[in-house]
This record gives sequence, structure tokens and C-alpha cells, in this order.
Amino acid sequence: MPPERTLALWCPAWALSTARRVDPSLAGIPVVVVERGARGLVVCAASPEARAEGVRIGLRRREAEARCAGLTVVERDSAAEARAFEAVARATEPITPAVVLERPGVLTFPTRGPARYFGGDEALAARVLALAADAGAAEARVGVADGSFAARLAARAAPPGTAHVVHSGGTRRFLAPWPVMVLADVVGERREDGVALADLLTRLGLRTLGDLAALPASSVLARFGVDGARAHRLAAGDDELTAPPAPPPPDLVATAELDPPASRVDEAAFVAKALADDLLERLAVLGLACDRVVVEAETEHGERHVRCWRHEGGLTAAALVARVRWQLEAWLVDGASECDRQDDEATGGLVLLRLAPDRVVPAQARQLGFWGGDAAAHDRAARVLARLQGMLGHDAVVTAVVGGGRAPSERVRWVPWGEPREDADAPGAPWPGLVPGPAPARVHREPVAAELLDAAGSPVRVSGRGEASAEPAVLRCAALPGGGGDVTAWAGPWLHDLRWWTRARRRRVLWQVVVGHGEDGVACLVALERGRAAVEAVYD
Amino acid sequence: MGVTPAAPAALPRRDPETRARLREIAGRSRPVTLAREQSLTVTGRLGEALPLGALQRGTVVAVDGARGAGATSVAFSLVAAVTATGEWAAAVELEGTLGLEAAARAGVALERFAVVRCGSRDRWATTVATLLDGVTLVLAEVPPHARAGDVRRLVARARERGAVLVALPAPGARWPGDATLRLVAAGGCWPGLARGGGLLEERVLRLTISGKGAAARAHEAELARAG
Repeated sequence: MPPERTLALWCPAWALSTARRVDPSLAGIPVVVVERGARGLVVCAASPEARAEGVRIGLRRREAEARCAGLTVVERDSAAEARAFEAVARATEPITPAVVLERPGVLTFPTRGPARYFGGDEALAARVLALAADAGAAEARVGVADGSFAARLAARAAPPGTAHVVHSGGTRRFLAPWPVMVLADVVGERREDGVALADLLTRLGLRTLGDLAALPASSVLARFGVDGARAHRLAAGDDELTAPPAPPPPDLVATAELDPPASRVDEAAFVAKALADDLLERLAVLGLACDRVVVEAETEHGERHVRCWRHEGGLTAAALVARVRWQLEAWLVDGASECDRQDDEATGGLVLLRLAPDRVVPAQARQLGFWGGDAAAHDRAARVLARLQGMLGHDAVVTAVVGGGRAPSERVRWVPWGEPREDADAPGAPWPGLVPGPAPARVHREPVAAELLDAAGSPVRVSGRGEASAEPAVLRCAALPGGGGDVTAWAGPWLHDLRWWTRARRRRVLWQVVVGHGEDGVACLVALERGRAAVEAVYD
Repeated sequence: MGVTPAAPAALPRRDPETRARLREIAGRSRPVTLAREQSLTVTGRLGEALPLGALQRGTVVAVDGARGAGATSVAFSLVAAVTATGEWAAAVELEGTLGLEAAARAGVALERFAVVRCGSRDRWATTVATLLDGVTLVLAEVPPHARAGDVRRLVARARERGAVLVALPAPGARWPGDATLRLVAAGGCWPGLARGGGLLEERVLRLTISGKGAAARAHEAELARAG
């Protein structure tokens, strides 16, 4: 199936142009727009003046300020971006009803009908540019190509304010010289996955899409998995979908009626979260993912607002809610008085919100484990564990991750079921003061009070230098069979200086002790802290 | 006259250690179990000691022993055997004392071994029953005064769901219900540690195995196992 001929309208650095529109004094001076990410405030758009000074996207705010004196920093306002882009989207609606928004700043639509009406792709592109310029997006660029991935790249290839049309059938040749890094945004569930794949391809010497497309598809699938196969298809200019899109079954539409009507975007977004979860759950049951969704909102006065949103690689609940929020930001203007309300804004509260999947694709298949790793068994266990979590509490169902630490209780981290099990780094790394030998099978998280006595019957003490006052002879503890007994062998003490850098500093001494003789010997770990002994662990 | 094929003896022979390991892997990954389809193969010394070298699905295994005698380690070995084949296991702990590092060293795949902390004794039976629905092996610590009715229902549930219930009674207590296999850990000498010196090493654990059917005759086994 040849990919659908698509037009993409791209407004470069939309965050920046929105910021400048909101505050006209920012024009002509170095400005960056920052966004809060995992690494703190990171530059997501920079003006040409700032770029000239060496400011790049992805820099931390402080680095950007260091590179460019007099830099003005603006925090990203995605609501304002969505509002401003709504005007552009509305301006293109006279051309086609099938406008699909990807994010504020990018929209696409199939050109088949409108191109014939307006006399070809070039004429259509010129018309779209003119409409966008009227709506305030003078810098917008347009690309036309087979498939929306190629169309977006074509838009990037166009000089500002113009269009680049890739002729039908020439998409593969057009894509060939692009670096593989352009795949980062469109492959994988998260951006990091895409970046990792593109990075790997580059290191393997596959620098351009043409290099990747030249490989046999089956080999790429075998070596790089599902994401790699998708990247290969994109690079070859094939349709992005793995299977022909099917019209979604009608019962997948998720609808919520809001009573009382929601007048604020947050209230609506709250409802949208539940709707999105419901929709995705029902899709998952059918083994489907949704890459285009129609968000429909209706007010108490009967006004309707419908937008189609598209997302590469399937929509997640969070992404879906963000799109609902963007759409409503542009429409439901909180607290605007009647007189400055524009005629295309909602006049009342929201009474109905509907999420309808517009196009569904088979969800990514899960590779089954080679040695009997069984997805069905996993699902069955997951269901049961989730049920128990509901019954006993979130923290009551855990899995363990073994990490570093000196005492046995410190070496295991408990991760509540459902949270990511990030493997602790280097559990095998040397820990000075770690008690050697086998790991105890019983670890008391609340150590059980005990008495460690010397031959004379007085408690064994350990000096600050780690010297014991006497040899341990008797250990008494309720956790041991028979309440303890004679110490027949021991090693230690291991001195641990805990949290010496805080006020909560404490000292702990560990002894490895065997109580009892021969076959009946019980090995355990005894901790001595502030003069009190306790059994920390039993080798059972 | 045909060409005589090379005699198998001429092929390079692997050393016995490698052969033993290959045999173990082959045992673990045996694709079909045919008549013993309802069994979960246990490898190593413990497997040799068990009747048919396997745990039977739908049965109850009681692991007894005084604290420090090694019952927990034996239970972890059973969990390890089950998770190694890709199955899921879960533990119900009452006091929160299971040492999962020991489990990991015994070979348990921790990502397929959930630990459920059951604080209230009233919910113990419900928790174990729920887990039997979803995982292949449930390692359940048994409260000292478990109700006989609950225990009977759990045995029936395990049989019905084809899961293995490994009951780990409180030290000194016994599993009050029916058990196909009873393993009693009897401890062993701790080597390596001296008075004020040396390091604790892994010990050889003594184990008494009795039960019904193929395991009717009680026998003893030794298990090279850690604490």
C-alpha cells in the first residue's frame, strides 16, 4: 500500500514565536524558552540572536546564560502555544476537514482531495502558507510528500515561508541523505528509546536513512527488533503503519457527561484522565493501539469543538490527556469576560467530553521468552498481584532488588509491585565492612533484642577502635531456638560508622556467631549498637 | 563397499564436569514432559532427592525445621527451581523476615518472585488463596494457629488450580493440613568459622523427605546449601 500523500505544516520554534507574540518586547533580542525536564530547566527553543552566541537546544538554563550575556529566559507555556496554534489550525479548515494536529506547531492532512481541487500540490501548499501567514504564522513552512514522516522532513527542508514538494515516488530518494537522528522522535515508545536506536545505528556506520533503507528488512528486524523494523520502513519511505489501518469498532468511543458543567480546563482534564485510561484499557484488551484520536467537546449551549490528534508510536494516557488539555485551553477560556470573548470561543461550561479512536493499529507484539517466558503467565500473575495490592495496600506487594550495602537488611531494596524495578548498580561492588560468607535467609528488619555476654556473664562491649572487651560466650535471644545458648564460634567485630556526615550518625558493630554445637549449631548475625545487642539475621 | 563412518569414540570427549552441567541444562529445558506434564522439574541435589526429581503441580509441600536448621533455604531452592523455568512464584510473609539476597543466590529470579506482606492473620488464608489463582508456586509462612478449615480449603485450591503450595510453618510448629511431601530440615555443621576467626562458609544441610505415594518411604538427603 503506497503511503498516503500528506501535507505537513510546520511552524519552527513555535514556543519562541508564541512567547514573542505574548510579549512583543522580546523581538530582536536573544531569547530562550526553557522547559522543566528530568535535568532541570532545559532550553527547548532559542532565538537566532541566542543561537549566534552558541546557545543550543538541550542546554541547561545556567549553561545557556553563561554562553550568552543578556539572555532573556522565558518559561514554556504550552497552553498559550496550543491557543495560538488553534488559530492556525482553524485557518486551514476551509481547505480540508481532515486536519490532524500532532502538537502545537505541527499539523498534517492528506492532500488527495484538496490538491485536485486547488490544482496540484504546489498550488495547495501556496494556499496553505498564505492562510497560515494570515493567521499569524508567517514563518511557517510546508512540506508535501508520501506519508507524514516524509512530509514533515520536507517541511524542514523548505526555506522559511515557502513549501517543499517531494514528487510522488521520489520520497525514498528524498529521505536517503537525512541523518538517522531524525528517527529519534518517531521510533520507540519514549524519546530516549528512539535516541538510543539512532545512536546505535550511527555507531554501526549507518549514518543516513539511505544506508538503513539499503539493508534487507528481515535482517533489520532480527537485529533491532520492532523499533528497528519501523525505522527501516520509515527510512525506505514505506507507509508508517505496520498493517492497514482498520476503522475502529464503534463501541470503543469513550464518553463522559459532566454534571455540573466544567468551566475550568483542570476539571475537564481530570475527567479526561479517567476516559483515557478506560479507552486504552479497552483497546489493550483487543490488542490494539491507537495512533489517531478525535477529541470532541460540547458545552451546555450546544457548541461543539472537534479536533483530531495524532501521535507517533501510539498514544499513552498521559499524552492523550495533554492533547485534550491543549485543545480545551484554546477553546475554554477561563474567566474571560463576555465582551472580550471571541466568537469562536465557548460560551458555557463543558458538559460532554468524548474520545473516539480515529485509527487503530495492532499493538506491538510482545516477544515471548525463549526458555518458556510466558506472557500469559505474566498477565495472570500481574492480575492477582494487583488485586492483592488493592486488598492489602500498595506497599504490601513487593519484589526485591539486590543492591549494595553492608548489613543484610541494607542490601535489599523493596519495590512495590507495578513500579519500575531499576536494578541497583553493581550489587557485586566491594563494600568495605560487608560481612562475608553466605547470605542469611532470615533477615529481621526490626532486629530482635538479644544479650551477648562474655564468660563472666557481663555484656560484651566494643570500643570506638573496634576492640572487643571480651570474647563472646553466650547469646540469648527469643528469635533463636531454645532462647539461645553457648557461642561456639564467632568472627568479628565489623565496625560500621553509619551516616557520619549527619547528626544522625551512629555506630554499629556486627558479629557473626554460631550458637550451639555441631549439627545443631545456629549461625546468626548480631548487631551491637549503643551498648544494646540484637539479632539482625539468622542463617536458616 | 561403503566408507566406514568415523567411530563416535574418535570425537573429542568433554570433561565430566561439562557433561554434568549440560545434563543439568538439558533437564531444565526439557521441552516435553509427557506423562509427567503436571510436574515441575527440580535440578541439582534437591531434585535427586525428590521423588521423580520434580514437584507435582497441585500438591502441597510442607517444609519444617527449627529456626536456623535451614528450612527457609530449602524453600528458596524449590522457588528457584520453579522460577528458573520461567514460572512465577510468590511468598506470603507474616513478619517480614525473608532474606531475598539469599533467595537470589539460591537462583531465584527475583523479577518473577513477588513478596506479599500479610500483616493481619485474618487475611492470611484469603491472600494465599488469591495467590494460588495466579502464580505457579506459593511459599506461605503459616501462622501458628491457622484454622484447620482454612488449611483444608487451601489444599483443595492448590489441587484445583494446579499450583504448588510450599508451607513454611512457624519454627517448631507443623503444617496442620495434608501434604504430599514433607521436608524436614535438620541443620548441619557450619564450617569455616572458629573462635574469633575464620569465615562462615556454605554448609551441607541434612534433610528428611517423607510423603505419600512415590515418597512414602522416608529417606534422608544431604544438600549443599548456604544459609
